[in-house]
Amino acid sequence: MTGAAAHVPPAPPPAAAARRHRHLLDFEGWTAEEVVSLLETADVMAQVLTRPVKRVPALQGYTVATLFFEESTRTRLSFERAARAQSADVISFAAGSSSLKKGESVRDTLRTIEQLQADLYVVRHPSAGVPHQIARWTDRAVVNAGDGRHAHPTQALLDAYTLRAALTEAGLPPQDRARPFAGRRLTIVGDIEHSRVARSNAELFTLLGGEVVLCGPAALLPRELGRLPGVHLTTDLDEAASGADALMALRIQRERLGPRRLTSLAEYVARYQLRERHLALAKPHAFVMHPGPLNRDVEVATELADGPRSLVERQVASGVPVRMAVLYALLVGRS
Amino acid sequence: MRLALRGGRLLDGAGDRGTHDLYVKDGVIEGLDLGGPVDVDVDAEGKLVTPAFLDLHVHLRDPGQEVKEDLASGLAAAAAGGYGTVVSMANTDPVVDDPGIVADLVARAARVEGARLRPAAAISRGLRGEELTDFAALKAAGAVMVTDDGVPVADSRLFRSACEYAAELGLVVQTHSEDPTLRDGGVMHEGAVSQRLGLPGNPDAAEAVMVFRDGEVARLTGARVHIAHVSSRRGLEVARWLKASGAPITVEVTPHHLTLTDESLCGFDPVYKVAPPLRTTDDVAALRAGLTDGSVDAIGTDHAPHTLAEKQQDMLTAPFGIANLEVAFPLLYTRLVLGGALPLERLLWLLQDGPARVMGWPAPRLEPGAPADVTVLDLGSERAVDGARFRTKAKHTPWQGEALRGWPVATVVAGRLVHRDEG
Amino acid sequence: MHEPSNLTFKSRIMTSAEFERALKRIAHEVIERNKGVGDVALVGIHTRGVPLAERLAGLVEMFEGTRPPVGKLDITLYRDDLTEIALQPVVKRTEVDFDVHGAKIVLVDDVLYTGRTARAALDAVVDMGRPAAIQLAVMVDRGHRELPIRADYVGKNVPTSRSEIVHVRLREVDGEDGVELWERAA
Repeated sequence: MTGAAAHVPPAPPPAAAARRHRHLLDFEGWTAEEVVSLLETADVMAQVLTRPVKRVPALQGYTVATLFFEESTRTRLSFERAARAQSADVISFAAGSSSLKKGESVRDTLRTIEQLQADLYVVRHPSAGVPHQIARWTDRAVVNAGDGRHAHPTQALLDAYTLRAALTEAGLPPQDRARPFAGRRLTIVGDIEHSRVARSNAELFTLLGGEVVLCGPAALLPRELGRLPGVHLTTDLDEAASGADALMALRIQRERLGPRRLTSLAEYVARYQLRERHLALAKPHAFVMHPGPLNRDVEVATELADGPRSLVERQVASGVPVRMAVLYALLVGRS
Repeated sequence: MRLALRGGRLLDGAGDRGTHDLYVKDGVIEGLDLGGPVDVDVDAEGKLVTPAFLDLHVHLRDPGQEVKEDLASGLAAAAAGGYGTVVSMANTDPVVDDPGIVADLVARAARVEGARLRPAAAISRGLRGEELTDFAALKAAGAVMVTDDGVPVADSRLFRSACEYAAELGLVVQTHSEDPTLRDGGVMHEGAVSQRLGLPGNPDAAEAVMVFRDGEVARLTGARVHIAHVSSRRGLEVARWLKASGAPITVEVTPHHLTLTDESLCGFDPVYKVAPPLRTTDDVAALRAGLTDGSVDAIGTDHAPHTLAEKQQDMLTAPFGIANLEVAFPLLYTRLVLGGALPLERLLWLLQDGPARVMGWPAPRLEPGAPADVTVLDLGSERAVDGARFRTKAKHTPWQGEALRGWPVATVVAGRLVHRDEG
Repeated sequence: MHEPSNLTFKSRIMTSAEFERALKRIAHEVIERNKGVGDVALVGIHTRGVPLAERLAGLVEMFEGTRPPVGKLDITLYRDDLTEIALQPVVKRTEVDFDVHGAKIVLVDDVLYTGRTARAALDAVVDMGRPAAIQLAVMVDRGHRELPIRADYVGKNVPTSRSEIVHVRLREVDGEDGVELWERAA
């Protein structure tokens, strides 16, 4: 055979898109392609969890430290499970433990913890920005598990993962792999101002091609959020529910807000509780979501929470595979 | 003690006095080109020689918070910034609400090498906003101003009484004008950025509302009320209207509110956390315009040092404040004067004659017999900001690494050389 | 010209006819060794092992009348060299829809080299259940084993140097079957 043009060399294996990032703090700078790559990895991780041995050795030798300055047993255990399922070692620092002293600066706390040589920190803190501050001070990877009202990226990822799967199963798979929510609308109801779940979901859902409607009481709906691309605000739940593909209710904590911010709980329930009527206004396949834990018959009427369109349990179940994908994406391949 | 500043261009509020050797003797300006032996020689060739600046708003943290700053470091920092006199705020520990504490400050400051100290005293005991302090005794001990700065005076009746006593005694009342309940725990300006970042916001309405309250009470009582750190377009507009309608108020703006915006908080770095907060580019533009149209009477630094550990806490817990005595003039000279937004003479006026007028003090001049408070400024050389070289204990600065011009290379206070930059 | 600057073609090791013959031989060997294919299942290792496994299953069906089940295995999460790789690989789905327990699993891959891929595949299969036996079928064994792994079925043994790359071409992926040797530039 003559001519060099006849031989096609072997191509290198494709690289995953998510490798560009050292941390997952929020979705600033992330592309849709990178996020979808994480969701696809989560699919594989979900499979691992169905096998007799629910573990892979992918993160053997790595150590993941959970720094929960704000307690949340569920989320912390979910991350720890995600680490152990990949054979990583886990060190937990929970709020109230002696290592997370009140009054000690974040920087000083980090200095103490760094002695333990973890490869990745999962951080939750009542103040926005602490994961970002930690990321500046360490060369390890940082995952934001919830910082004040600002962001909760893994929650948004598991919500996206759950909704994407539910839409596909309902016969409505994404037309464009990199924009799985193109043409879809997510309506989020509740105390938007204080919700990192709302902010992260708005950020992620629009990144993936969708539209978001934020709905809630007027004193808890920050006006400037309506300026973000793909985001609309309304105080009217009927309007917000119309044409939605998913209705997501947020936890309302009236004790924290007080009577100077929120009118009575009865009024909140009357105006903002998700009911059958709202599902009827939404698209025929529309789903009901909630980040949990749910206040029954406050944010969501019981028949909806337990009904066939509720994705609440699936959201909870998708936490571990999604977090497995995140830990894998940030740790593997770091030389 | 005789001192000569040689070959500099002499400039003060009366005009450009040309290039001369300036002689200082026994704490007072002696004259120009006199010749004769001197104890200290300062080369000012190619530099600007001008009266040392007046800062009506610094937090020296002394007594009680000396880990952040004390008289020695604070007054040395002031001198390094070209300042000859500073008015220190009263929110220390204990609060400066007692004549004994004022007297002690005056006595200790006299032994420190640096800028002159003129203490302010608190309006209310412990800054609690409930009981008035003894204004006459505080003035007798050396206080030149009364202020609860750090916190607003929430009770308008108390504020009115304070203004009535201050007016009687000729004391200036400085206000921290923010409505405490509208401010509601906000750590940054309430706007698109704060709502996106999920940080509690402090709306400009909180300032506007309180500026109006403070100005009306000034009008009612005739007290000279100096509105500290106006940070917003709305606040400045309200102040402008009040002045035009006869309220005896004056307006202060800080260097950070003239050069930084709320976007600085996007990295969640508490070094930018300050009260009132950094606001939008539109607010910055309004404040800059106010520098030349008569709305702003003085630039005050609101120098507010904290320890590095404190500023490395989270955004909610970290204390408010930016330390800027040593960079104030270079920052404003480089950004505003060299940037074309402000003539040099006007910047100097806002740092010299303006604050003097607010306090009713004589305008600083380089004339024989005037107090020998002089600073030498190098307008030509560019140097990067390096917090590690600061005299202040707060070495961490928002402007670290920025290339600025206009560094003070020497400062004389009461005829003594208290700052000399070796280069 | 598709050639990246660092790879040059050296020689053709197997023609498409040789390839087909080797595959048929392997199919016969699998049947003979396991005394029929009653409890045999093929598991192709991503990526090229998968079409090879499908092909093998088809040949077995042709010879025995029964088509053994075929699974697809992604071993990325079982690799032991994850800390050394610069680019994070894409993790693909593993599809093993039959019961591993008690089965005779024949792992299928294109090239056997250091043995690390095969080891990872062994660990992955064992985590799925308890097979009766695990065997390994490869089209090319190129030597340089770093672990005590050997193939049960080999298409061709090809001694190579470390600077060479063995490229197994498949009809389904590359348009034609064959095995080529390429040289990696220093």
